[in-house]
Amino acid sequence: MASATANAPPSLSLPPSQFARLQPHAYLLAHLSPPPASNQPSIRANGRAPSQFRVTSANAGSLTHTNGSAVVRIGDTAAVCGVRAEILHTDDIASWSVSESSTAASTAKHQHLADLSDHPTKENKDVDQDSDAADDEDRAHVQGLNLLVPNLSLSTGCAPGFTPGAPPSALAQSLSHQILSLLHSTRLVRADDLRIWYQPPNLGPEDIEPHNEDEQMDVDADQSGSAENRQPREIKAFWVLYIDVMIISLAGNPFDAAWASVLAALRDTKLPKAWWDVDNEMVLCSDDLTQAYGLSLRGLPVASSFCVFEADAAAGWRAVVIPDAGEQKKGSQSRWILADPDGYEEGLGQERACVVVDKDNDGKGKTVIVKMEKHGGWTVDSADLRQLVDISAKRWDDMKRILDQC
Amino acid sequence: MTDRRRINGPPGGTRPAVYASLLQSATGAADRAQRQRQPTDLRKIFLKTGLIPSASGSSYLEFEPSASLAAARANPKSLIPPSSALKLACTVHGPKPLPRSATFSPNLVLTTHVKYAPFAARRRKGHIRDASERDLGVHLETALRGAIIAERWPKSGLDITLTIIEAEDDRWWGDAPDSHDASWGMMNVLAGCITAASAALADAHIDCLDLVSGGVAALVSEDMTGSSGPPRLVLDTDPAEHRSIVSACVVAYMPARDEITELWLKGDSSKAALEDDDKRPGHEALIDGAVDAARGAHTVLGQAVRESIARTVGSA
Repeated sequence: MASATANAPPSLSLPPSQFARLQPHAYLLAHLSPPPASNQPSIRANGRAPSQFRVTSANAGSLTHTNGSAVVRIGDTAAVCGVRAEILHTDDIASWSVSESSTAASTAKHQHLADLSDHPTKENKDVDQDSDAADDEDRAHVQGLNLLVPNLSLSTGCAPGFTPGAPPSALAQSLSHQILSLLHSTRLVRADDLRIWYQPPNLGPEDIEPHNEDEQMDVDADQSGSAENRQPREIKAFWVLYIDVMIISLAGNPFDAAWASVLAALRDTKLPKAWWDVDNEMVLCSDDLTQAYGLSLRGLPVASSFCVFEADAAAGWRAVVIPDAGEQKKGSQSRWILADPDGYEEGLGQERACVVVDKDNDGKGKTVIVKMEKHGGWTVDSADLRQLVDISAKRWDDMKRILDQC
Repeated sequence: MTDRRRINGPPGGTRPAVYASLLQSATGAADRAQRQRQPTDLRKIFLKTGLIPSASGSSYLEFEPSASLAAARANPKSLIPPSSALKLACTVHGPKPLPRSATFSPNLVLTTHVKYAPFAARRRKGHIRDASERDLGVHLETALRGAIIAERWPKSGLDITLTIIEAEDDRWWGDAPDSHDASWGMMNVLAGCITAASAALADAHIDCLDLVSGGVAALVSEDMTGSSGPPRLVLDTDPAEHRSIVSACVVAYMPARDEITELWLKGDSSKAALEDDDKRPGHEALIDGAVDAARGAHTVLGQAVRESIARTVGSA
């Protein structure tokens, strides 16, 4: 900024904040490409290096009426996420009898899985990752029955553009949907954590025998059907997780903050022990905290968003439209990929990239790309994307540390 | 009717969790929350301004958790929270020009929006504002309109948005609904909204006659026999801590002018157990109590605004 204002005649000089408003593009460009004479490093207007993220903080479990909650602040963007669990009875599912019959085949195997550990821990992660059938069933239940309901609200006065009380804006709808699709594609929440089982009591022959000796034959015939095993367990209900994100303050990059808050809130979520009560014909829960269980999430996908700032956005077009316009000076860098853009930078670039990565084995394994999205331009090539993945992997380590602390 | 612009849950609808302990005994096995403060003691208020840089003014307000909630947080045993503490964020956008289609207004046009987060209350709230939220918005607007000097901004609009992140209960969770029930928690929410909005207005440098602050007082009958004894006057009530609230009052009060801009009194205030030499009728005692609570909130508000000014002076 010093260079930009110094070039202007003193009578017309503006304070940096006004120059930033009047000529945002030139202002950021002056920061990123300082004149070689000034010996200043290339730095963003907000003082960060191009691949540097804003200071992030997270705090979980502060809201009373939620099963799990988290507040995540990334710079000046703040997101509050609350997870509320409600019960979906299978009686309320219109298509349940159909889908139940289709899953009946895998129920036996599933029961076996569930018996291994009632509250799945990290150990059995490998077990059910192996079984494709369980995966399909997982998907059928979590996705098919809409057990995860994320909604993001921007109409909290978080930024001047969003009128409160109005229906969700296009941005809010798209963010809600991105969160939903990422929840489904990462299969973050296991369907097994959300199922409420019922084990019918064995009211079989043993109880009846003393009373009616005469019908021994019939009983025997019945017994042969269910003799070798107890009655098959059945699913009576599901937990539905309402994941509501309120963006309290918006200063660019809402998706990273929203996703981080969802992740932190789900890690904080505790579901009560629930069972089917035959007498009342309803699901009852225990309010005992020692019986409640946390969700065992699959991995820890961390989102990192980037924005591309071009020195001359029309340069690509000009070469096509006016072929002999002459090449620009080659030496200077013509575009920068800015990590975690703030509101000011987001307004200056069309091209966005978002990379969601996870790491195996608690960060010691290899990096897995969960989602990669790029739109709005063509300046980022495959080499750049590879670099972005590396940056995202570094970001994963930071976020893991922050989320573990909260 | 499904909302196509939001992600809807299962079409058959879901039910909130029912806890077995609640079903076994209507009063609940757990100890009910008890007020540990003196009747005239107020809860501490956390109030901070300027947390939302994109707004012209903003504030965040939080009530101190009551004793039962603090104990439950320190040593969690049950999943059912004994009570809750108010948490809300307020933003002020403006003054900004009115849209072209709006008719001429010589004064500042004030719009207030109060919205509960879906997870704010014990019952899940919908995404669309319901009647009680609109009601709160109207009450808040009258409270602030009396304080703002609206003639200074002709043809301008001011948007005040409040997001309730955690609301207060209307009664103790284990109690069955009865005739004394009303939305008592809403009155605490309104008092918090007034104080927070006032701080945000000062943060946005909107000219006001004085900092208007909100306060709540209530007449509660505590004894087991219900309404046999005359109800006592209690300031800054947490509805979860009282067996039955007979009447409650919330005021928006400007100490410098000794003026009330908003008064909302609910319930039967005819019987009140006051001091022997106190000859005030019940409702007057109630209003005076609410004003005292508002005076208490005003000291916090003054400090928060002082910090806000120090920040703007420091940065300029």
